[in-house]
Amino acid sequence: MSEKLVEVHDLFKWFPVQKSFLETLLARKLDYIRAVDGIDFEVRRGEVFGLAGESGSGKTTTGRLILRLIEPTRGGIFFDGRNVLTVNGEEMRRLRQRMQLIFQDPYASLNPRMKIGTAIGHGLEIHGIAKGQRERDLVIQMMERVGLTPAATLYEKYPHQLSGGQRQRAVIARALILHPDLIVADEPIAMADVSVRALILHLMMELKEEFDLTYLFITHDLATAKYICDRIAIMYLGKIVESGPLREVYSHPQHPYTEALLSAVPVPNPRARREHIIPKGEIPSPINPPSGCRFHPRCPYAMEICSKDEPRFAGTKDGHLVACHLRR
Amino acid sequence: MAEILLRAEDLEVYYATRAGVVKAVDRVRFEMGRGETLGLVGESGCGKSTLGFSILRLVPPPGKIVGGDIIFAGENLLEKDEEEMRKIRGSRISMIFQDPMTCLDPLERIGDHIVETITTHDQGIKRAEAWKRAEEMLDRLGIDPSRLEDYPHQLSGGMRQRVMIALALILNSELVIADEPTTSLDVIVEAQILDLLKQLKEDYELTLMLITHNMGIVAELADRVAVMYAAKMVEVAEALPLYEKPMHPYTQGLLRSIPNISLTEQVLATMPGSPPDLIRPPSGCRFHPRCPYVKDECKEIEPPMREVEREHLVACHLY
Ligand SMILES: Nc1ncnc2c1ncn2[C@@H]1O[C@H](COP(=O)(O)OP(=O)(O)OP(=O)(O)O)[C@@H](O)[C@H]1O
Ligand SMILES: Nc1ncnc2c1ncn2[C@@H]1O[C@H](COP(=O)(O)OP(=O)(O)OP(=O)(O)O)[C@@H](O)[C@H]1O
Ligand code: SF4
Ligand SMILES: [Mg+2]
Ligand SMILES: [Mg+2]
Repeated sequence: MSEKLVEVHDLFKWFPVQKSFLETLLARKLDYIRAVDGIDFEVRRGEVFGLAGESGSGKTTTGRLILRLIEPTRGGIFFDGRNVLTVNGEEMRRLRQRMQLIFQDPYASLNPRMKIGTAIGHGLEIHGIAKGQRERDLVIQMMERVGLTPAATLYEKYPHQLSGGQRQRAVIARALILHPDLIVADEPIAMADVSVRALILHLMMELKEEFDLTYLFITHDLATAKYICDRIAIMYLGKIVESGPLREVYSHPQHPYTEALLSAVPVPNPRARREHIIPKGEIPSPINPPSGCRFHPRCPYAMEICSKDEPRFAGTKDGHLVACHLRR
Repeated sequence: MAEILLRAEDLEVYYATRAGVVKAVDRVRFEMGRGETLGLVGESGCGKSTLGFSILRLVPPPGKIVGGDIIFAGENLLEKDEEEMRKIRGSRISMIFQDPMTCLDPLERIGDHIVETITTHDQGIKRAEAWKRAEEMLDRLGIDPSRLEDYPHQLSGGMRQRVMIALALILNSELVIADEPTTSLDVIVEAQILDLLKQLKEDYELTLMLITHNMGIVAELADRVAVMYAAKMVEVAEALPLYEKPMHPYTQGLLRSIPNISLTEQVLATMPGSPPDLIRPPSGCRFHPRCPYVKDECKEIEPPMREVEREHLVACHLY
């Protein structure tokens, strides 16, 4: 058993830009969206590792790469010490059972024509773990555990007959029934109502203890991340610009982008109204990201070197890593 | 409070649906002083947008204003005919939506859209002059005026929202209703827009109704806050007392259950249950099935809105 449940080395995912035939002829060369553009991180067993950043920064792509739902352009991904990219089909099937995905829109991730109970138990059949009455018993048990009660009644319902909160619980039950080691939770509460969000987060944390889970928690909401993540990585335009223990990163952000992101989050306290340090402009295109440090055109501290050399992603202390020329 | 610009009395807005009548705004009353920013908060489906639309008399069908009064600058908007309302919309009251694409025509350059807005309300103005005003406004809002030549899809979400703000301000509206203006934006762009609104509030002496479910945004911008729950107004107060001494148990629960980025040791509380069905809302106080302090009378008698402390109104039997 490895202490590092997931290790990601120098991982890239470039998507070719869809173009018309004529454009391709004229350009003679394909353009790529650099969704993930060389990242390194590890997720330790039993922790909640947050992956945060604005829309389009590459969070979902990273999650999908780890689950091997898409193939990387290059790089290494290790799960419990095994190279996910080279294992054979049979072993991948077994690994897949150990990593599960929960995503943002529970409605889209449930088959509208499948009863909730059947959907939750589906994985048990696919992986040949249980079927028939045994499957039903396991499903009812799990439904009760995640608060989908009365379970026998809800078992027979279709997704549209449940509330948003209930649907998200169903998705969690479906992921947990296979007793995975890792859960990649991609914005699991982004679509839920304010009063439902806290309930779902609490449930996820309880289940984590009970089932010895490790979470890769993808979010654009730094305030929510604070309540559940042990460590966090901040992404910008396909790169991780900073990572480390959450409290360390939040109290002493080392990268100007992290600093801006943290200061932009509105605080529910009228006394805390503050002058934001808000970078100008918006995120540039991931097709031709800026040279050097990708944040340099918006960075209030940019120096001459920032547009020329790409800063190394390296440690300051206690596993707090940052890619910024200011910190050298 | 300064001069009252807007006042709603016993406002009722219903949607007649096949499942029954959704009472989306149910005998709501509130006031807005000229120049103030009122934050209207509450969970999804509590009736915030419906309330916002009703002020412009633009509630989407099958919605209907079935009762009450809306007094704007001394006149009852519910007694105006459609022609008079058209003049008021855009020139005296305007609205900014969550999704700018719903108001922008994809086939029209944004410059033409803004110019048209100016000329329909001011037939005397020359096109070139209107275009110049549009340029000045864009520049003021932090967009390069050359972008007037662009079509909506050529702009980013943040720029489109700035164009919406330009449309709302170009005729010097007295009242701007902003419905979740930053909800679909990323946090940095959101902060940029909030800073802009903050600045415009001062420069244009705007009266702003800011509708949002985000208590953080309201804390940044609002002078006063109105909390809605299940089509009812449950608490209205100045921002500071509302956040520091919330009185309604729903407001208390809401404030405890929202994430706060400050690194104080604090747990996220949960609120049991979920918001009620507006076709058959609970009897008495609508919050009673979820309230930790529920008493017998809460189940039977609807609590009236009372001024419990100066300028602090609460609808709850505890007070
Ligand atoms: N299948 C795909 N084909 C082409 N481009 C893609 C594909 N998937 C993602 N992208 C692009 O890759 C970049 C990163 O996308 P990704 O979904 O990983 O971002 P994200 O951080 O999850 O954003 P969000 O917060 O909006 O979910 C974006 O520019 C996106 O448009
Ligand atoms: N066109 C419609 N037909 C029927 N019911 C409607 C319609 N529009 C809104 N409603 C109902 O009216 C109630 C209030 O809706 P409204 O959109 O005003 O809420 P809201 O507070 O703005 O919610 P959100 O935060 O989700 O925007 C809800 O119960 C909703 O389902
Ligand atoms: S490397 Fe330079 S441009 Fe990039 S964040 Fe650091 S100081 Fe700013
Ligand atoms: Mg995503
Ligand atoms: Mg709304």
